[in-house]
Amino acid sequence: MRSRLRYFIVVLMATAFLSSCSELAPPADELSPSIPRTATGEPSLDGIWQALTEANWDVRPHAAGPALLPELGTFSAIRPGLGIVEGGEIPYQAWAAEKQQENFANRLELDPEGKCFLPGVPRATYMPYPLQILQTSQYVMVAYQFANAVRTIHMEDPGPSPSESWMGWSVGRWEGDTLVVDVSSHNDQTWFDRAGNFHSDALHVVERYTLMSPDHLLYEATIDDPNVFTESWNISLPLYRRVEENVELMEFKCVEFVEEKLYGHLRKDPSDDVEVNVVGVDPD
Amino acid sequence: MRHQLVALFFVFFVSAGLLISTVTVGQVSSTTEAAYMPPRTPEGQPDLQGIWSNAVLTPLERPDQFADQAFLTEEEAVAYEAQRNDETFRGTRDLDAATDVAYAYNDFWWDQGSTIASTRRTSLVIDPPDGRIPPLTAEGEKRRNARDEYRRLHPADGPEDRLLRERCIVWSGGGDLGAGPPMLPSAYNNNFQLVQTADHILILKEMIHETRVIPLDGRPHLPGSVRQWLGNSRGHWEGDTLVVETRNFTHKTHFQSTSEHMRLTERFTRLADDVLMYEFTVEDPVMLTRPWTAQIPTMKLDGLIYEYACHEANRGMVGLLGGARAEERAAREAANE
Repeated sequence: MRSRLRYFIVVLMATAFLSSCSELAPPADELSPSIPRTATGEPSLDGIWQALTEANWDVRPHAAGPALLPELGTFSAIRPGLGIVEGGEIPYQAWAAEKQQENFANRLELDPEGKCFLPGVPRATYMPYPLQILQTSQYVMVAYQFANAVRTIHMEDPGPSPSESWMGWSVGRWEGDTLVVDVSSHNDQTWFDRAGNFHSDALHVVERYTLMSPDHLLYEATIDDPNVFTESWNISLPLYRRVEENVELMEFKCVEFVEEKLYGHLRKDPSDDVEVNVVGVDPD
Repeated sequence: MRHQLVALFFVFFVSAGLLISTVTVGQVSSTTEAAYMPPRTPEGQPDLQGIWSNAVLTPLERPDQFADQAFLTEEEAVAYEAQRNDETFRGTRDLDAATDVAYAYNDFWWDQGSTIASTRRTSLVIDPPDGRIPPLTAEGEKRRNARDEYRRLHPADGPEDRLLRERCIVWSGGGDLGAGPPMLPSAYNNNFQLVQTADHILILKEMIHETRVIPLDGRPHLPGSVRQWLGNSRGHWEGDTLVVETRNFTHKTHFQSTSEHMRLTERFTRLADDVLMYEFTVEDPVMLTRPWTAQIPTMKLDGLIYEYACHEANRGMVGLLGGARAEERAAREAANE
């Protein structure tokens, strides 16, 4: 009983002390870690970021699954994930839902990732490779490790896109502390993931980049394509800052890794060991 | 074979060159170098940002006609510029249609610029003083000959035997000898973009979107065991000049017959609002008897850089290898007759 009384008194005193301090405490919003800002006051998205998600296997919720080729064992097996699609489902038109199934069945042959093609937006964001953002008042550049892909987000109106392209035509603006990017002029060659989720060249993506903390960048996108979906749908996922002190965007120029897949049937002798054919003598 | 190859190249270039930028080259400003103060970034660094063109008709090495002459007079420059314009494919437009098509390219496709370097130098190479790339070492000769011999015997056995630019791995003017870094002009899309932040610089070459993101924070290079097609670059400021040092190249690039031992130093100095001097020094003690340096005054562009998706539309590789197999089949059939 005595100890409970003592406890009560201590709590009372502590409460009184804390409430007396409250007027000196900083406002609540400054208690959260303050985000880095540029000289002109916008949030600074500079840095190397990476998604930590299994969405590149399937943007929808999905269970684990085997690798495409049995000899790979667990290498490149499907890793289970909750997905990044709001509500879990993609609102496909009926024909498109069937087409996605076909894509999935033929993904070894068809997935543009397997051919080292430019991955398009939004897929480039959540592939298991880092990306680096360099932000100036005129441009926000995004350099992706995969396939040496790069994208210019124009912060000053560049005029209309001259042509469709793999990485699209990106025009950005700040809405408060959120970078909003309108991405248009996509071609119809990129996919959303290895599961064969796809779009047409009518794809329109609006991305929203919001720094939630110095090391945590919220990525949201609204995806619209009247040729393929019945309505627009949303994805969201955090990107994490790669905080290693020596981190840098290393090279992943993957063309040479896919030449056998794409051109192997045209070799002089298809049984040739690729290494034998490499031009240049390695003296080491 | 030659015409077939040219035709295949044509298909490749047309299909691969999804977007060719339309940009105009600014004129050299009359601002004197000494008086010019480059604009500053918010962090106080010289602002080198923008889109720059290294299209130039001055040859890399000094031509014989200027044996001992490093600079042209103004009159000579006018005459030489006219000569260089003539030496490109402009003249083919006056030929009959069949010949023009056989050449495949004229100035509709080329975008090599129409001016020589504003410095009026007779070559891009400024050191050695003779304007020529120094000779190879004995080991360098040996390696180059081995490579040439391999290529002669295996012109198209597989994709690895073809030029790096035909493979859409590293683009170059002048075959694999031009494949950098450094950045030499090629037939078109001679544009690069510099983007600066406080601690990084990004260099984007329009041609096949070769991108280097370069730390400026003084960190050491990657360990020598890590090799990259574009090498590993580190930058720092020396006064108002951005210096980028690159090493860790693979043994699969041979910029002007160098090797994986190449060490490259690039210097970017803004001399006027519309002129960025680009200078680079190449060292390779294994291949070269001495280092050499070249200089290109690059010009500010009023335009944008567009996506150049090379590999994604590389019909050319299918044509080159398929054509080689077809020729082998034809030769076998002829031998059997």
